[in-house]
Amino acid sequence: MNLKELYQEIILEHGKNPRNLRKTENFNKDAKGNNPLCGDNVHVYLKLNNQRKVEDISFEGSGCAISMASASIMTDLIKGKSDNEAKEIIDDFLGMIKENPELKSSILEEDDKTKLMCLSGVKQYPMRVKCATLSWHTLISAMEDDGKQVSTED
Amino acid sequence: MNIDNIKKEFPIFDEKIQNNDLVYLDSANSSQKPKVVIDRINEFYTKEFSNVGRSIHYLAVAATNLYENTRSSVQKYINAKDKNEIVFTKGATEALNLVANTLGQKYLNEGDEILLTELEHHSNYVPWHYLRKSKNIKINFAEINEDGEIPIENIEKKITPKTKVIAINHLSNVTGAILPIKEITELAHAKDIIVVVDGCQGAPHLKLDVQDLGCDFYAISCHKMYGPTGLGILYGKKKWLEELPPYQGGGGMIKEVKKDRITYGDLPNKYEAGTMATAQVIAFDKSIKFLESIGIDNIIKHEKELIEYGQEILKKNNSVKLIGNPKNKGGVISFTIEGVHPHDIATILDEDGVAIRAGHHCCQILHDKLEIPASARASVGVYNTKSDFDQLNESINKCKKIFDLK
Repeated sequence: MNLKELYQEIILEHGKNPRNLRKTENFNKDAKGNNPLCGDNVHVYLKLNNQRKVEDISFEGSGCAISMASASIMTDLIKGKSDNEAKEIIDDFLGMIKENPELKSSILEEDDKTKLMCLSGVKQYPMRVKCATLSWHTLISAMEDDGKQVSTED
Repeated sequence: MNIDNIKKEFPIFDEKIQNNDLVYLDSANSSQKPKVVIDRINEFYTKEFSNVGRSIHYLAVAATNLYENTRSSVQKYINAKDKNEIVFTKGATEALNLVANTLGQKYLNEGDEILLTELEHHSNYVPWHYLRKSKNIKINFAEINEDGEIPIENIEKKITPKTKVIAINHLSNVTGAILPIKEITELAHAKDIIVVVDGCQGAPHLKLDVQDLGCDFYAISCHKMYGPTGLGILYGKKKWLEELPPYQGGGGMIKEVKKDRITYGDLPNKYEAGTMATAQVIAFDKSIKFLESIGIDNIIKHEKELIEYGQEILKKNNSVKLIGNPKNKGGVISFTIEGVHPHDIATILDEDGVAIRAGHHCCQILHDKLEIPASARASVGVYNTKSDFDQLNESINKCKKIFDLK
């Protein structure tokens, strides 16, 4: 176990000053997610334009440093991507958190990959994996527009 | 038994947890187990095992006697009038579900009201919520004051002519407030209101005399009382347990089963359907003996000193904010650190072997009221020492350093 790997500078900084922590005006897709074990919650808002490009993405909610940083980095990376690209990034991130040692997607710049890899520290803390993945699962739900509330305990 | 040496009775403290000595501050969640209890489970399965209350062979009779012996020990420990007022359940949660369900079946009607408090654990809210759904029963909540207590006036205010049940905790698992159960019961009984007590935190830490408290039901969680998991106790006044219908059906709880009719067994079998947690019940006798050997007065004194010390030390620590300030407080200190989420606190403390709880502690109503999503909680048991709080404070400082707090 290594706390320094979990609480890297980037995580602490994004946790303290989360990007896109607001509500997108005229959003056309959204979903709520919660972690009933800790009471954390997140609401992800998306604005997909006619070309199916993410014109804006934002989130509201509260949570630990890991979950806030993860949502912050996620919204930063997804903005401007097409919905298919977004899905590829989500799969890549969740695959990395679950089992893959590295990120594979060619859509991501090296800088972006470095940022996302900062979240890989949670792999050593099984109870904290959900903190890192909640906003991503909520984003999937928003994109699929299935109206389901995401819960880490389903 | 000397309270200073009590830690030695718990084998877990001989273990290194991630290379650290264990600083266990999570007893409100579940207590650690003394060797006598662990050994008793092993011994029972090794040398004496049989199911109880059914077969007539030697082992079955001996096991049945042991099982019933625990019932008698519990009766004495909580000073119940009758041995048959003690029902074993799979936990305090099942005990509270049993009460809500059977009162719902026989006693409560549409429009009746149940009074809870904002301090209730989900296990003393969700079972009543089912009745809101199935029987159109209304649930009211007595409010906390600014110290995180429930003064009796706040209960009185919420009683209406339709209030049929008051279901309250004995000791809050978040603020540590001890509720005036005896006074609440006197008030309730004068208005023919049933009193159900969630005693999960009360039973391990307070002197228990159910006849003196006067409540109609009292639910106990054995794993918080230095006993095994999978076991709870429902104390119920005999008149209620006799009058109310069974909760679950199955073997052991019947008198006669015919194709067209069934009659139910007498107390306490009526509420103990199926094979019970036999080994746990038998081992729980050792938990009671363990508590008796220390003496509840010594336990209360020890834990009070610990909590006063813990509060004093944490109050001096900048950025730490204690939740609630009850005058009459049990062994729980909940807190937040401005700028650090409780889950981050718990992860960082864990690195030093300090085990606390982070989250809403199954009390979302209370956390909503306090307008915080979660809190961190340090709770004590007989084995804790002041040095555990010194370590807690040191690890909190480490946490503040990581998050760049002063």
